[in-house]
Amino acid sequence: MSEPATPWTRADPTLARGVPDETPRRERAAAGTPLYVHLPFCAAKCHYCDFFSVPAEGHDRAAMIAAILREAELFAPRAPRTVFFGGGTPSLLSIAELTMLLDGLDRITGFRGAALEVTAECNPESLDRDKARAFLDLGVRRLSIGFQSLHDDVLKLFGRVHGVDDSFRAFEAARAAGVQELNVDLIYAVPGQTAEAWSTDLTRVLRLGSEHLSAYNLTFEEDTVFRRWLEQGRLAKSPEDVELDLFELTRELTRAHGLEAYEISNFARAGHACEHNLNYWRNGEYLGIGPSAVSKQGTRRLGNVKAIGAYARRIQETGNALHWEEDPPASTRLAESWWLGLRLAEGVSAREAAERARFEGDDSAARKLAGELEEQGLLERQEDRLRLSARGLPLGDWVAKRFLDTLS
Amino acid sequence: MDTQFIRNFCIIAHIDHGKSTLADRLIELTGTVQKREMRAQMLDSMDLERERGITIKASAVTIWHTYKGQKYELNLIDTPGHVDFNYEVQKALQACEGALLLVDASQGVEAQTVANAYLAVEAGLEVLPVVNKVDLPHARPDAACEEIENSIGIDASDALRVSAKSGIGVMELLDRLVERIPPPKGDPNAPLRCLIFDAVYNEFRGIIVYMRVVEGTLKEREITHMLGTDKVYEAVEIGRFTPEMKRTGSLSPGEVGYFISNIKNLGDVRIGDTMTIHKGPKVEMLPGYRPPMHMVYADFYPTNTGDFESLREALETLSLSDSSFSFEAVTSEALGFGFRCGFLGLLHMEIVQERLEREHDIDMIQTAPTVTYRIRLENGEEREIHSPGQLPTSDKYAQILEPYARVNILTPTEFIGNVMTIASDHRGTYVRQEHLSPTRVQLVYDIPLAELIYDFFDKLKSSTRGYGTLNYEISGFKESDLVKLRILVNTKEVDALTCIVHKDQAEFRGRSAIKKMRKEIPRHLFEIALQAAIDGRIIARETISALRKDVTAKCYGGDVTRKRKLLEKQKEGKRRMRQIGNVDIPQKAFLAVLGGDDEEGDKK
Ligand SMILES: Nc1nc2c(ncn2[C@@H]2O[C@H](COP(=O)(O)OP(=O)(O)O)[C@@H](O)[C@H]2O)c(=O)[nH]1
Ligand code: SF4
Repeated sequence: MSEPATPWTRADPTLARGVPDETPRRERAAAGTPLYVHLPFCAAKCHYCDFFSVPAEGHDRAAMIAAILREAELFAPRAPRTVFFGGGTPSLLSIAELTMLLDGLDRITGFRGAALEVTAECNPESLDRDKARAFLDLGVRRLSIGFQSLHDDVLKLFGRVHGVDDSFRAFEAARAAGVQELNVDLIYAVPGQTAEAWSTDLTRVLRLGSEHLSAYNLTFEEDTVFRRWLEQGRLAKSPEDVELDLFELTRELTRAHGLEAYEISNFARAGHACEHNLNYWRNGEYLGIGPSAVSKQGTRRLGNVKAIGAYARRIQETGNALHWEEDPPASTRLAESWWLGLRLAEGVSAREAAERARFEGDDSAARKLAGELEEQGLLERQEDRLRLSARGLPLGDWVAKRFLDTLS
Repeated sequence: MDTQFIRNFCIIAHIDHGKSTLADRLIELTGTVQKREMRAQMLDSMDLERERGITIKASAVTIWHTYKGQKYELNLIDTPGHVDFNYEVQKALQACEGALLLVDASQGVEAQTVANAYLAVEAGLEVLPVVNKVDLPHARPDAACEEIENSIGIDASDALRVSAKSGIGVMELLDRLVERIPPPKGDPNAPLRCLIFDAVYNEFRGIIVYMRVVEGTLKEREITHMLGTDKVYEAVEIGRFTPEMKRTGSLSPGEVGYFISNIKNLGDVRIGDTMTIHKGPKVEMLPGYRPPMHMVYADFYPTNTGDFESLREALETLSLSDSSFSFEAVTSEALGFGFRCGFLGLLHMEIVQERLEREHDIDMIQTAPTVTYRIRLENGEEREIHSPGQLPTSDKYAQILEPYARVNILTPTEFIGNVMTIASDHRGTYVRQEHLSPTRVQLVYDIPLAELIYDFFDKLKSSTRGYGTLNYEISGFKESDLVKLRILVNTKEVDALTCIVHKDQAEFRGRSAIKKMRKEIPRHLFEIALQAAIDGRIIARETISALRKDVTAKCYGGDVTRKRKLLEKQKEGKRRMRQIGNVDIPQKAFLAVLGGDDEEGDKK
């Protein structure tokens, strides 16, 4: 449950060893800090998913909302620039529950007046016109809908509880309710998927005209049903050349439909990139509340417990549900800033990378490496900013490893 | 103490037959250490020993036992159990008058026990057979005794039957020890002669010398002289192992203890050396140890070329507590500066490697081990080849010879067929077969040492369900039809991967080596060609395709830490890699020319 230990990582000893003094601690986030809220309930667990979520049935959702509001009271920033409700499936909450949560949060942070972007993740089975309307009324202006696939058999394989028709219906409902910022989530490189099939599906989705699209190559994360199936040989990864074809096809088709590939897996019409997520890639600070939520404060990252009961109990008892923290060395932070920044179309400059990492030493090793990678054709330069080139994009992790390797 | 009340002894036992447990029990029952203070299995002090359950380093402990109203000093000198450590066993044996031959009553005699028991008999020690674990329901003490008699040829009719675990028979064993093991001889007033049988390095105290006084008396503040190295040191502290070091100020004949003089120069102490009084009467050196025989060689290269000097220091420190490996500087075109090290055997090599990494925190690349070959030139001159790279082309010599081992294999009779098959697969020649008991048999083969190193141990274990044990000694050199197998990475020959193999096996070995390398070498941004060649001829080829896609699809705020750690884990493997040309080759690939189960490799 905790993050793997490294010398500068400390798991919460109140769970492990019972030394409460060593529990990681956070400050209240500075005004304007982006806010993430994790709502850990889903209709069912998807087979590929490694987010922290539990089936909604049988849990005291009101108590969870109360705990999240309590944590917000103690730590949430005033006037967050962006707010993101993720999970889990926020749309699964009833309108009454959403009202309790969002009114409470607005009372604490004043986000409705202040935030320039407020997003909630939704799944088709729990998003209809009324829900979408409620979101708008409660201050959530951007909705992200998990389509994932345009084939019912694949949705079934994924363990999703909705059909393809539900996805389109949910999208139309959101539009009809007046939602003007919509994202669609899709997964590609599904076993057996051909370039033709993906091209047809993607085109169909692009014709919906959403402002934003996230298209992820299927991954087999640890501790998921898919990973187990992969290991048992019940599922096979797509061959590398197929994955690469689909990756490139995705970039071409989205561009043809007027969406810019502003990050490896994210595409948006001009002015509609997700500000909340951009902040992650710019290695900025953020505050996360809710079970398993991660915060970044200063140079540290801190994570809440990944357990519903322990989270609610600890919030109630001490107001602190942090379970781990890490304070990576400056060189690692610098490597991170490069790695994350290079994922973006806007790229990153050496100066920015150092600033974002709060790195004060001599960063010539990083600059030199960036130069080498540029010569190798993996990075490309626009004035003083570098980003992954067309060849470098699918090798983003390889490049990241070079930075981690060289700098730490 | 009067020498007649001293007994020096060691325990010869196969791994897991209960040596450490018995030592603990002896220490506990004689009240040497309070039970609650006892760390289980005190004698095995190194982590590595604990982990592998083998003793690789002789150490000593003094215990006191009262027999018929008289207090006796019993010095237990620990000996290593594994076949690779014959040399250390010999050192320890030289410091004793007697040995307990400990045999597990449910397992019977094992091949290594036989070998070590022979060494003890040869060294003139009184050998007391002891059958252990008689408390086990399936103990067969009679069968064990029969095997002792048939395999070692000593009388086991009155062998003591004990349970080291429960303590049954251990008091009787102590009495028997006093009765049967002769006291050391040695005149306390004769000129001093001490046998140095071990040494360890301590950061604060310098070298701690383990010694046994043979004649004369050694006292603190005396100035001593080590004859072999011709070094002079003052006896700053003298004491005994109880088993913690306890200062006693002096040691008399027959006594075993330690000597400290803040010796920092590692070369000054040599195991097997004789210590006497500086400017005292001239004495003869004690009969020297046989020098260790190095049958296996491998090269160690630091992963970071800058660590060459640290590697040298680490090897020097280690050679102090393990005098049985050798090292000399070498250069490889592919790997730069490193050391060629000689070992007693394969396990010995692994232990040295692990200790270097664990105790000295050095990252190394190690080449596949090789045996010593000999070539005979046209003019009759003979030369030793310690590294396959040194072998000239076949037109430059008349004959090539390889070392053979006489291998004794003990196995349950049901596996005779399997053992015979693997022996002949490994170019073995049958010598003889003896039945030790109705269910156990000893098979003797002559097998090329290179085959033993390749994968014979593993195969023997797997084909006898772990029951087969073996012991070997080098029996000589024989002419063989051997060729040089070279490995090329992107057409560049990697000298560190060259090996010498039998002609009939060359193709198979070449193929399997590059197959394994293909699995071990990570993909690069370009294609990598692996080739195996004999003489000028390419006999096998594999390609590692270029890496084209390696990117995390999802990477948000909550993911960064975990994803970074995943990346770090992948790169962790990179620490033990060396670049050849522009290809990163991990340690494991350098061992690809070694045997091992291919099938298993596939599954992983
Ligand atoms: N039942 C029983 N087990 C024993 C006896 N002596 C040792 N053992 C067990 O045998 C195993 C190996 O013993 P150990 O002393 O480590 O063997 P070593 O490798 O020879 O030092 C351990 O699990 C001991 O607990 C004994 O007399 N009876
Ligand atoms: S709906 Fe989303 S968060 Fe919930 S299980 Fe599926 S993928 Fe995971």
